[in-house]
Amino acid sequence: MKIRNIEFWASLIGAVIFAFVIARWVPGDPKEKVVLAIEYGGLVITFLFGFMILAAIASGKIDISAILQEKAADGTLTGASMSRFQLLIFTFVIALSLFLIVVNTGDFPSTIPPEVLTLLGISATTYAVSKGIQTGAKNGNSQPTSAVAQAAADQATAAAQTAAHHAATAQTAAIRATAAQAATSQK
Amino acid sequence: MTNAARLFYWEGVIVVGGLFGVIAWRLFTGGIGLDCLLYGDRRDRRSHTGYSSFFSPGRTQLLIVTSLTAGYYLLQVIHDPTTFPKIPVAWVVALGGSHAIYLGGKAQSMLFGIRDLIDRRTHDEN
Repeated sequence: MKIRNIEFWASLIGAVIFAFVIARWVPGDPKEKVVLAIEYGGLVITFLFGFMILAAIASGKIDISAILQEKAADGTLTGASMSRFQLLIFTFVIALSLFLIVVNTGDFPSTIPPEVLTLLGISATTYAVSKGIQTGAKNGNSQPTSAVAQAAADQATAAAQTAAHHAATAQTAAIRATAAQAATSQK
Repeated sequence: MTNAARLFYWEGVIVVGGLFGVIAWRLFTGGIGLDCLLYGDRRDRRSHTGYSSFFSPGRTQLLIVTSLTAGYYLLQVIHDPTTFPKIPVAWVVALGGSHAIYLGGKAQSMLFGIRDLIDRRTHDEN
């Protein structure tokens, strides 16, 4: 088995070692030590995974340069997409809010208010509908008028070239036949 | 604050703050392109791709409303970081309307190929 993500395994092993150290050497009741080992092990592994992804983004190993770009109707990457940008903004705002609330209260909120869901819902729906419009335009315009006209013009040019070639061949044959007929009549 | 809570706090500060920082840094340095953020596509028979770009008022108003809403929400959370803040219904309706205008304009220009009013007026003047 080939290990590709050495950082992933290092994080996993680091968390297990951390949990083992707590379970083995921290004094206290065995039940509490198990809880502490799982708690700190989970925190360490979550942090290391997050840090691993963050480092990969910062170093360019995970490429996020096209995170705001959309595919155009002709399949190429276009400029930044407004629907993606607003989804990014709202996701960050809600994530930051949740983090601040959890840190300040020391507890996860018991209910998520409908305003938050509405905000995220509007944002995500806009992105989805925007994507639908683009896909619809792409399908409806898979052969744009100018492309159809260009293809027809290319076909007409090819047919004209073939016809010209045939005409030249026929003309040569006619000249040869005329010359042969003249030679025969002279004899 | 217990030791685990303190550890969670610093982990969150490093990872969440780092993620925001990296993305903000990329946005400011051009690592994440914001080119043509305010430009939309519309059907154009003269273009070889079948589409051409134009400055979109719909995108501009969406950017303004989104920035205002996000800023307002963040300020509310920073002011009272114990609960999710309440957003006035009018604000949500305004945000929904703004998104609807953006989507309507996009559908109009991409699916139906109708020129927007400003462009038509400019064209008529020329």
